[in-house]
Amino acid sequence: MIRNVFIKEITEFARDGRVKIAFSIVIVLLGIATWISSRQYNSTNQQYAVAKSAERSIWNNQGEKNPHSAAHYGTYAFKPKYPLSLIDQGVDKYAGTSIFLEAHNRNEAQFSLAADQTGLARFGDLTPDFILLFIIPLLIVLLGYNAFTKEREMRTLVLIRSLGIAPWKLILGKWTALFLPILVITIVLIVSAGIILSNLEDFGVFKWSNLGILFLVYICYYIVFVNLVLIISSKSKKSSISLVLSLAIWIIACLVVPKAASNFAEAKYPYPTRQEFSANILKDKQEGLDGHDPWNKQAKLLEQKVLKEYNVDSLHQLPFNFDAYRMQKGEEHDAEVYFKQYKYLKSQFEGQTNVYIGLAAFSPFLPARFLSMGVANTDYSTHWDFSDAAEDYRIKMQAFLNNDFAKNSSHGNWSYKAEETTWEKLPAFEYAPPQLAEILSKNSSNIIVLVTWLLGSFAFLFITIKI
Amino acid sequence: MYKYNFLYELKLLLRSGWMQILSLLLLGLFCFATINGDQKVKKRKQDIHLAKAEVKESDANMLSLLDSIENGMEVSASRWTIPSSPTAVGNYHPRVAAMDSQPLSFVSTGQSDLFTHYVKPTMTGDDFTLNFTEIISPVQQLFGSFDLAFVIVYLLPLIIIAFSYNILSAERESGSLKLLASQPILIHTWVFQKISLRFFWTLILTAIILTIVFLFLASGSNFNGLFNVIIITTAYILFWFALAFVVNLRVGNSSKNAIVLLGLWVVFVLLVPSVINQLGNTLYPMPSRTLMINKMRSLKEEAIEKQDEILDNFLRDHPEYAINDPNQNRKFYHRYLASQKLVKEELEPVALEFEQQLERQQALISKFRWLSPSIIAQESLNMLSGTSTADYEDYRKQVIRFAEIWRDHLTPLLYNNEPFTSNDYPELPSFNYQPIKLQNNIVSSLIIMMVSIGIGCIGYIVALRGNASKLIVS
Repeated sequence: MIRNVFIKEITEFARDGRVKIAFSIVIVLLGIATWISSRQYNSTNQQYAVAKSAERSIWNNQGEKNPHSAAHYGTYAFKPKYPLSLIDQGVDKYAGTSIFLEAHNRNEAQFSLAADQTGLARFGDLTPDFILLFIIPLLIVLLGYNAFTKEREMRTLVLIRSLGIAPWKLILGKWTALFLPILVITIVLIVSAGIILSNLEDFGVFKWSNLGILFLVYICYYIVFVNLVLIISSKSKKSSISLVLSLAIWIIACLVVPKAASNFAEAKYPYPTRQEFSANILKDKQEGLDGHDPWNKQAKLLEQKVLKEYNVDSLHQLPFNFDAYRMQKGEEHDAEVYFKQYKYLKSQFEGQTNVYIGLAAFSPFLPARFLSMGVANTDYSTHWDFSDAAEDYRIKMQAFLNNDFAKNSSHGNWSYKAEETTWEKLPAFEYAPPQLAEILSKNSSNIIVLVTWLLGSFAFLFITIKI
Repeated sequence: MYKYNFLYELKLLLRSGWMQILSLLLLGLFCFATINGDQKVKKRKQDIHLAKAEVKESDANMLSLLDSIENGMEVSASRWTIPSSPTAVGNYHPRVAAMDSQPLSFVSTGQSDLFTHYVKPTMTGDDFTLNFTEIISPVQQLFGSFDLAFVIVYLLPLIIIAFSYNILSAERESGSLKLLASQPILIHTWVFQKISLRFFWTLILTAIILTIVFLFLASGSNFNGLFNVIIITTAYILFWFALAFVVNLRVGNSSKNAIVLLGLWVVFVLLVPSVINQLGNTLYPMPSRTLMINKMRSLKEEAIEKQDEILDNFLRDHPEYAINDPNQNRKFYHRYLASQKLVKEELEPVALEFEQQLERQQALISKFRWLSPSIIAQESLNMLSGTSTADYEDYRKQVIRFAEIWRDHLTPLLYNNEPFTSNDYPELPSFNYQPIKLQNNIVSSLIIMMVSIGIGCIGYIVALRGNASKLIVS
């Protein structure tokens, strides 16, 4: 019986011109979006490779120089693009792509793509994630709004009832018929994305397991929509009312709740402005040890401590350059200041994340969006991870340079110049994004919310519906 | 007949609860959006105010230090922050270059969540790396803000669609159309009367609600602004009612109507803007910022190597800066500023390319925006709010100009090895933001209205030529 219902529904879809048109539009859009994204992905990655090697050679070839001058000269950490960004660009457009690593300062990532685009970019981009997250649910609404209402309007419901079919069988038949086309589109997209990605040269980072999880996320998201649309259709008297209601759900879930959530999150956990943030850091720095300032109180304390430790009475007798040693201590203190201030920023970010998770009760879009970005390594927490890794590297780089300075020169010798080969010895910045297991454990609450939506909507569909 | 129709429709709308739902829904959405927008504006004002207060405080500090130095006293500050040095003033006591909010800033968030509203350019800072973006969660930027512009551009059309997709078909489906067909009125005219009544009510409601939120919820609105917003909204509402009118006359049953109208919504609000944006990016791609960094670094590296030579050349070109000190007391900043100027000049074409590409994209969009009234409505609202791309681009230019003024004001002191004194303090330049002159958006609104009326007329005429009885029984 389930099979019969399924075959009848699929035949109806196949005969309906609207469905054919909608389906082909979605396929064409997906094709265009994937093509555009893969082009963009390739060019960004090429630029990244060029920039990275150019920057490294600039660093290596800076010639003889005082290590502290080299520290101020600094270097750049560039954020790579990950394969699955082909499917979900996430917040990549809004997060900067390069971080300047220099002495004394932790810098924010700069040059976000969005800042270089016109206001039109805010309407959204034609990317696979736009189709997957917005348009396919809309397609589900379009295909399924009249699943039950048409039977009611054509008076065929009475006939069906007379067949003695169990309600769950009817629902399951209709459910499968509605879900199958969506499943097919999703599989086609995911498989073709996988093929494109595994044919790319830097295949190393791409993993089919991540793609598989991404597929599951979208499938769960679509099942929730399928369930919601069928619930509405079975409860409505008329097709048009069912359509308007399903659409209202789509609008609320995909447009209204995310925007409202972003307002709530900002109002509840505001970020400081860039200027405020740097003012706070400056304040903390001034109250502590300042690497450059020999008259600074804490530096004096350090001086006394070191003299005592080495049992000498002047800095010149120390076996290393005290200026460089003090600078390294100052650097460590600065790093602590940054750690503290960034921790605050991070706690605001976590607060905001909780607001989003809380509001996900009103929108299956939110957990799906966050999970998809997370698995694609294009979410905000990957960006944090990158920026933390860059900061770690910066601290190590400063230690490397200050140690060289301290070891190879004596106190007061600011004219010391390190050899040209010194710079090569600093290992290059390498960054590996979080692995799948870590991503999933970080996003566990999103998974729980999405699964709750999934099970809840299933339960509601099969338990409460009477034909 | 029109009177009967009017009364019948009004009664129908009131009794079905549609009017009540519509009013409450619109009121709720507009209020929530306005409160959100207003909150953002308040925070912006507060941030700027705090920044200015901080500068005031640090200025008082600076003046007292200067006073001590001028009276020959010892001061307890780091050597390089002592304000008798012009570079210390230039770097540690910068002015706030703030972009004040406009009276209508609460209407549309536009680009305001991307960019900062105040910066403090320093004397030796690079203009290119001056960061104009704001630290904000990119998730927020991705989702966007629930502001009035969102309600008007995205949600209002959907409400209109829900309000008008089944004007004719519902009567047909309930069987009352046959009764109406016996009346001495053309069916097209009758649909037109029905839809114009709904248009009229939506318009009145929106206008009243807009007035209410402007008066009671927004902190800095004005009547001129309100009038402008109402004009844009009217044009936009008219456009969607015109589409609904045509669809009602052309397409069949209620569900089909709804699907066609929604398809149009997706096309105009979601697809056309993103396709045009993509077109702009493809035709005029932005040069790579990462490669720009490489270029800047190599130029700087070269400049550092040739610092002395650069300074010589610079002083030859600027004899007014030739150092008075016969011992040629050249210090770090003398060389630095000269080479920085050179790097800046050499990088100018690179930076210009970014600006030009953005301008080209904007020009392309201005041409293609006529493909979707949503783009026009959004852009007009952004412009009214002072949150469009052009506003921030203009602000950036003003700041860079100011940074130049700030540098030029202090450079002579540096090169002449003269100290900065408390007498120089009142002469310090300050930044005054000049908002761009508002372009008249009434013209584009009028064009949308004309187009909408045109669409309505064509639909009407085509339907008149067709078979009227088909409309009744199809």
